[in-house]
Amino acid sequence: MHIPDGFLDTKTWMALTAISGTAIAVSLKQTGKTLGEKQIPMMGITAAFIFAAQMLNFPIAGGTSGHFMGGVLAAILLGPFTAILIMTTVLIVQCLIFQDGGVTALGASIFNMGIIGAFVGYYIYVILNKIIKGSKSIFINAFIASWLSIILAAAACSVELSISGTVPLKTSLIAMTGVHAIIGIGEGLITIAVLSFIKKVRPDLLELRHE
Amino acid sequence: MNHAFLDKYSNLNSLIHKLDPRTKIITFLLFIVFVITSAPTDYIQFLSYSVIILTVVFLSKVPLGYVFKRVLVIIPFVLLVAIFLPFANKGQEGWIIFGNVMIKSILAVLATIMLSSTTKFHKLLKGFELLKFPKILIMILSFMYRYVFILVDEAQRMERARDSRYFGGEYLRQIKIICNIIGLLFIRAYERGERVYQSMSARGFDGNIITMSKLAYTKIDIYFYIIFIGIIMIIKIWSLF
Repeated sequence: MHIPDGFLDTKTWMALTAISGTAIAVSLKQTGKTLGEKQIPMMGITAAFIFAAQMLNFPIAGGTSGHFMGGVLAAILLGPFTAILIMTTVLIVQCLIFQDGGVTALGASIFNMGIIGAFVGYYIYVILNKIIKGSKSIFINAFIASWLSIILAAAACSVELSISGTVPLKTSLIAMTGVHAIIGIGEGLITIAVLSFIKKVRPDLLELRHE
Repeated sequence: MNHAFLDKYSNLNSLIHKLDPRTKIITFLLFIVFVITSAPTDYIQFLSYSVIILTVVFLSKVPLGYVFKRVLVIIPFVLLVAIFLPFANKGQEGWIIFGNVMIKSILAVLATIMLSSTTKFHKLLKGFELLKFPKILIMILSFMYRYVFILVDEAQRMERARDSRYFGGEYLRQIKIICNIIGLLFIRAYERGERVYQSMSARGFDGNIITMSKLAYTKIDIYFYIIFIGIIMIIKIWSLF
């Protein structure tokens, strides 16, 4: 989902850069209000964690492999605004150091994986928690939210590419969401397993964050 | 620590390495914007940009094999576009779109490789900071860069431990092991974060990082600015007629 430079046309990348820039500014303000300077080393290390976790590949049917995105997980653990900042820093490093995704497409990537993948995914989780209740419900909800976050991010990516005239909308939307519906299962399973692991080992970490 | 791959060639001694990070960041951004805003069939313009970026690659002394390997990252996306070509039903136009994104993305990736492999990451961040990027973001980035090696090392150690004990088997079990690795990694990272913050507070951290390194423009920067921006401006203006 890391779009290279040149795949988006000028109006698309400029609009998405403006949207993501605004979202980053709002998130900086929000996290500054609630957490202060203590959060800076923490956010840096969590960003490093998401980065390292993304390097672990898991197998998908047919010899291909996918990797973890971690947007919803970061948002559940550290709050939605912090998660946008974390995804932003991860994407900046991937872009500058690994050329994974272009500079002009950075706004689009932050929109897809930070705003949709983490922020929207988190609020899907919050809304689901209000609807489905029970002792095991946070895991079911986290699974659905992170699965949807992957599909929505992939859909956004294919819409952006087709608005730019690079790929046809209908076929790419079907193909991208189809493939990511499978990758999303892995994402969902990892998210709930990590949450249940943390609940066993350091349950206090799950209680802490309520923005 | 076996992650020299990150800024492997940032210690070389070349004209490009000597430039101030700010010079590189500004010319790099200009170059990419100029490249991707050019018309899809303006091949003379693409050729001129290629000559420029290849000259920079040559001047930087970064090995060509390394540069070539790095360019390959765009392949999945190029393939994605190629797969949908028959569905687009546009014939000639489809190939123009394909050629367009391929040329532009390769030129942009080359420019990014030049920026990142000739500049140390902390200097790059300093450059971004002086160019008025949000300070908190810069600080998160510098912490991230400081700890990413440690966490990647930890992740790889756990992965190696898994691989040496794991001989295939059920899919679900495999997922569960990866999850335990990731969960453990998070807890280790979090606790490390707490300890780092405590030790930083003990030394008087008030939210500002003070560094000794100062950046200064030299004569080379001024020449580079004039020559580089001059040439790409001429190419752009030329293409308008």
